[in-house]
Amino acid sequence: MNEEFTPKIVGFLCNWCSYAGADLAGVSRLQMPPSLRTIRVMCSSRVDPLFIIKALLYGADGVLIAGCHPGDCHYMKGNYYARRRFAMVKSLLEATGFEPERVQLSWVSASEGIRFKETIEEFTNKLRKLGRNKAAKKVFV
Amino acid sequence: MKRIGVFICECGPNIAEKIDIDSIVKEVSSISGVEIAERYKLLCSKDGKEYLKEKIKENKLTHLVLGACSPKQHEKTFIKVCEEAGMNPYLCNLINIREQCAWMTPDREEATAKALRCIRAGIARVKYQQSLEKKYLESNVDILVIGGGITGLQTSLLLASDARKVYLVEKNPDLGGMVSSFKSLFEGGNVKSVVKEKMEKVLENKNIEVFTNSEVKDVLGFFGNFIAKIEKDNKITEVKTGAVVVATGCSLFDPGQIAKYKYGKLDDIYTSLEIEVMNMGGRIVLKNGREPQSVAIVHCVGREEKGYCSKICCSYSAKFHDYLREKNKDVEIHNLYYDLCTSQFERGRKDISVTRISDIEEITEESGKKHIEYLTGDGKKESVSVDMVILLPVIEPGKNVPELAAMLRIPLDARGFFAEEHVKLNPVATSLEGIYIAGCVQGPKNILESITQSEAVAGKILCSLIPGKKLEPEVMVSRIAPSLCTGCQTCLSVCSYGAIVFDRENGICVTNEMLCRGCGNCASACPSNAITHKHFTSRQIYQELTEVLYPSRSMKEQK
Repeated sequence: MNEEFTPKIVGFLCNWCSYAGADLAGVSRLQMPPSLRTIRVMCSSRVDPLFIIKALLYGADGVLIAGCHPGDCHYMKGNYYARRRFAMVKSLLEATGFEPERVQLSWVSASEGIRFKETIEEFTNKLRKLGRNKAAKKVFV
Repeated sequence: MKRIGVFICECGPNIAEKIDIDSIVKEVSSISGVEIAERYKLLCSKDGKEYLKEKIKENKLTHLVLGACSPKQHEKTFIKVCEEAGMNPYLCNLINIREQCAWMTPDREEATAKALRCIRAGIARVKYQQSLEKKYLESNVDILVIGGGITGLQTSLLLASDARKVYLVEKNPDLGGMVSSFKSLFEGGNVKSVVKEKMEKVLENKNIEVFTNSEVKDVLGFFGNFIAKIEKDNKITEVKTGAVVVATGCSLFDPGQIAKYKYGKLDDIYTSLEIEVMNMGGRIVLKNGREPQSVAIVHCVGREEKGYCSKICCSYSAKFHDYLREKNKDVEIHNLYYDLCTSQFERGRKDISVTRISDIEEITEESGKKHIEYLTGDGKKESVSVDMVILLPVIEPGKNVPELAAMLRIPLDARGFFAEEHVKLNPVATSLEGIYIAGCVQGPKNILESITQSEAVAGKILCSLIPGKKLEPEVMVSRIAPSLCTGCQTCLSVCSYGAIVFDRENGICVTNEMLCRGCGNCASACPSNAITHKHFTSRQIYQELTEVLYPSRSMKEQK
């Protein structure tokens, strides 16, 4: 376990809740490790399962998908679809030998800057314990 | 030939102090395709915008990458700058190096590295961004209002003007709806001013065309361009409207469905609506013509069965006390309820006594009196004998709601009422843009709430359907490639807005760009990869993904 190691996290943040929550964290000057690489999507339901797998193969140590809380989706029920796909991806990762702990789905609203910071910190610490992603850069698809 | 311009905003001290902008500028200038990379003190200022426009023209830039604040803050500002400089705004990529970089990374070196990574990813992505054209659509500003009750009347009056015609459709012979059979209102105010005057005003208004004894048979089209068929006396009238307001109200649960209430079996058992009608006739009397000396008001009839509280019955029952005591001040009134839900109007009343029950066991007739046996809240068996029983049935959706919902292509909620798009964010809109719901059609409501909703609907319509102004539908919509679509209809099943239809003739799915809101759900659901979510295409996202993780791999490929 290397304390200095900063994992690479790809964060797919939905435009309406989680991206705004991340902005709020910044506006509130909440400091966090520079582990996150944000990719903005309009809705968490835009996150194709393939994005997650590709991110892991391309070298991400962890993938975070963050969307609006259940019942608060800007597109009515996109986050429910995201949740289902996420469950599917997780079992798929397990079956194919990836470490399913490397992917995480979180709900962060536009008003939850602190929650966003905590999510990033917790996930970063978890990934630090897991170490580098061994599947990284092994295969290119 | 792509000519990319990269501009980093100092944002006063906000970015400049936290990030080494010069090193980023130096680093990105060498990336292929980057024509110019510069820093500027404040891009969103008046001077900054002029500076950008000049640079775009001077360097004949085709693509723009801006390292500045959050797109949620200034994306619109820079879209406008691009348009004014004659550049397609969808070829601009605003990279957030302030909120999500400078402001949250404590270390200057790390923040610089993160910002550089984000900007490189932005450059990689912008190369794959496509110019999208805004569409402008002529729209009809007329409105179809379904339901001539208090909500429909209010909406029609608010919307009708010389520039906007309203078609008001009512299935009954008269306007006024349920409220017109009430003598008084528990919220205060009298029915005459609330309903009658509105009815008269509607009938006098030359911009409101009233169809009574009529039904809407079909509604086709989309926001700004609906075509509705109205049937009256077997004759169909076709009207063109821009929006549809559904205000068909509600109906009452039929207590006859529950045997223990003996409704319809024994005399002198009435529903609340029957009491209102009887009271309008002048007197509340028993079948034998005499005034009742004792009355039991049974609340929450059907609540168990329907599974929800209709929230206004407790309040309006207070009014029945006044009706009964007006004629006979000594009348004895018992209230039997499961759950009490009174509004501020009744809270102060000391003249009403209530008994909490957990179940009505039986209602029988004994020597001309109704004998009610019930279990109290704590399970004791008690009974009461009265002359008259008033049942307060729960409010349920109107009988024709399922057909209406299917015709309008909007969903119902678990209770069977019309579902709003979002209970907090969009309470009077539905999943189909341009179709609004107001009043009890959306769930039990008092008159105050119904009127508030009709005003909300009017506000929504007045600010979106403006005479002479064209509509601008969403540009970042989904597109289904006909050659790749297998017609499996997965996308159709995941779309919340009914924006995808199946083209039977060709066996493929097609997006209706007017209805699509651009969430991208269908694009990630498509098993054939046939769907492109414009401005968020998989290719664009992969470029960004590769670059943030594995710098320069994508860059080398392009060189």
